[in-house]
Amino acid sequence: MAVGVEALQDLEAPPWLDAEGFRRCRQALDGKLARETWKYSPLPKVANALIRADAHRQPPAVALPPEAALHRLDESDAPPLEIDLNRYPLAGIAAARAGAGWLIDVKRTPSHPLRIPAPAPGAVAAPLLVRVAPGCRVELEQEALPRNDGSPMPQPKRGGVAAMPSPAGLRAQVLVLSLAADSEAHWAAAQFTPDVEEWSLLQAHLQRNAALTLNQQCAVGGFLRQDVNVVLGGQGARLASVGAALVRDGGRLDQQLVVEHASRGTVSRIKQHNLAAGRSRCTFNGRIHIHVGAAGADADLSNRNLALDPSAEVNTKPELEIYNDDVRCAHGATVGQLDAEALFYLLSRGLETWQAQRLLSLGFLRDGLAGPFAEPAAEAFAAHFASA
Amino acid sequence: MSLLAVDGLRADVNGKPILKNLSLRVEAGEIHAIMGPNGSGKSTLANVLAGRPGYEVTAGQVSFNDADLVGMAPEARAQAGLFLAFQYPVEIPGVSNMEFLKAAWDSHLAAQGAQPESAVGFMKRARTLAASLGLNPEFLKRGVNEGFSGGEKKRNEILQLLLLEPKLAVLDETDSGLDIDALQTVAAGVNRFRSADNGVLLITHYQRLLNHIVPDQVHVLSEGRIVASGDRHLAEKLEAEGYAWLSE
Repeated sequence: MAVGVEALQDLEAPPWLDAEGFRRCRQALDGKLARETWKYSPLPKVANALIRADAHRQPPAVALPPEAALHRLDESDAPPLEIDLNRYPLAGIAAARAGAGWLIDVKRTPSHPLRIPAPAPGAVAAPLLVRVAPGCRVELEQEALPRNDGSPMPQPKRGGVAAMPSPAGLRAQVLVLSLAADSEAHWAAAQFTPDVEEWSLLQAHLQRNAALTLNQQCAVGGFLRQDVNVVLGGQGARLASVGAALVRDGGRLDQQLVVEHASRGTVSRIKQHNLAAGRSRCTFNGRIHIHVGAAGADADLSNRNLALDPSAEVNTKPELEIYNDDVRCAHGATVGQLDAEALFYLLSRGLETWQAQRLLSLGFLRDGLAGPFAEPAAEAFAAHFASA
Repeated sequence: MSLLAVDGLRADVNGKPILKNLSLRVEAGEIHAIMGPNGSGKSTLANVLAGRPGYEVTAGQVSFNDADLVGMAPEARAQAGLFLAFQYPVEIPGVSNMEFLKAAWDSHLAAQGAQPESAVGFMKRARTLAASLGLNPEFLKRGVNEGFSGGEKKRNEILQLLLLEPKLAVLDETDSGLDIDALQTVAAGVNRFRSADNGVLLITHYQRLLNHIVPDQVHVLSEGRIVASGDRHLAEKLEAEGYAWLSE
């Protein structure tokens, strides 16, 4: 493959990975699984950009409340990061570049949300583990919104799908959430930076009766690859994910979600609305894996896509892998255009065609908004359509 | 000049002739009820008038307020003052009822060359009207018809009718699925709308709605054409004897 072999060999294994593990991680870059999960995005280019990105080893600039503490990961009592490097080899590369990483230890429920800064363009951040103690609740936010000065969202260059990440532009982060029994976490992320180039991995492990809420919203004019892996490892653990994405003319979005039901009575609810405008590419791969011991698992995944332009490309692939008879599992993926019945309803009330189309597009996206950034995200979507 | 003049109208749906030489006149200030058995073309007439895609006029003329309706886009018909209350109102999650209503009203004003009404004034008017129709004003914040019961959807249609102040209201089985209370509320809304300046075309299966909205004329539609017309007593006869006597 085109990943710089010499550059890979120069990398040293991160502290939580032995040499053999790191060798397998590097091999996985060229493996079958990587080829499958990177079918619509060029792993070699992203890996090369990651290898050449600035390494930010310093601690994350988070204003920590007294209920939480920051430690170097390799000096803490936290076990090694649990990341499937066969599936996510870039996580190993990122750690090799940016160091062992950091731990935010949440011992009691904080009084305010923890704001996790997004890496700067061209930077790979050190992995961050957020460990939530039993019974605690934590709000985690990452916000990259355009300036609220009334100026329209910058329009991307026309004439083609976004170029692949350059070493100067790619930002990368690995965030691991470890939720102890009866704890709760809410991860809300808004990525509305024009022409962003980003790869990220969100890895979550939930113990008994832990609950995770995900709200990821974005408008993509450049390249955004989001890997999410949630392991519902304890009995009764729950995931609720609601998200919306607008892929603007020239943009590429690639979302890869894997939810593992690894214990009894686990529940997942996933709703993702993606809209592809202009000449863009939008990919969503949602995989539900129900393990042998996960009796009574209850999973529901819905991915709806709107393609506003004939030249927009939408790829959606819901996957089910079930190793237990006693489960409830539903998934659905749709790709379509604006609903003709709804369009006629609005026209019959006197709205002009362009108004009706805009309103329906916005409504479709808003229906995938939730969490603290729902309102600014809706405004950013509206700004896009106002300037389109 | 009639408010609505339909002459020799023929229309196909998916290539199948449904309306076959239908003629009808509605004057301002009048309420006309259209009744008829299933499949007679009642809803097709409503959709043809509103300009729904897929409903093709193959012959005849439809004049609305002296303008040729057939050549107009659906939004132009609405802006000209034609309103269709849907039999099955569409749910549109993510688009709030208030936002939708304001956009619709602004479109009407723009078509008349008028300035938009202030958001505050419009919202106040919408809330007051909603409350008068037994619709919780909180529903205005929700997605259009999202999660509404059948009765709430129909009340929402009447709310739009009152807010948009059309010249002609075409109500397509607005009474279907309504309980007695909702029926009376909806009927009160239509009666409130009624004036010397506008007209109503009321499509219904049942005479019960006509106990609350007294029509000036009742027409019976059968196999795509009007086969009988009369006053409100015709509806009572239909209720008592059905449609069979019309073909005897």
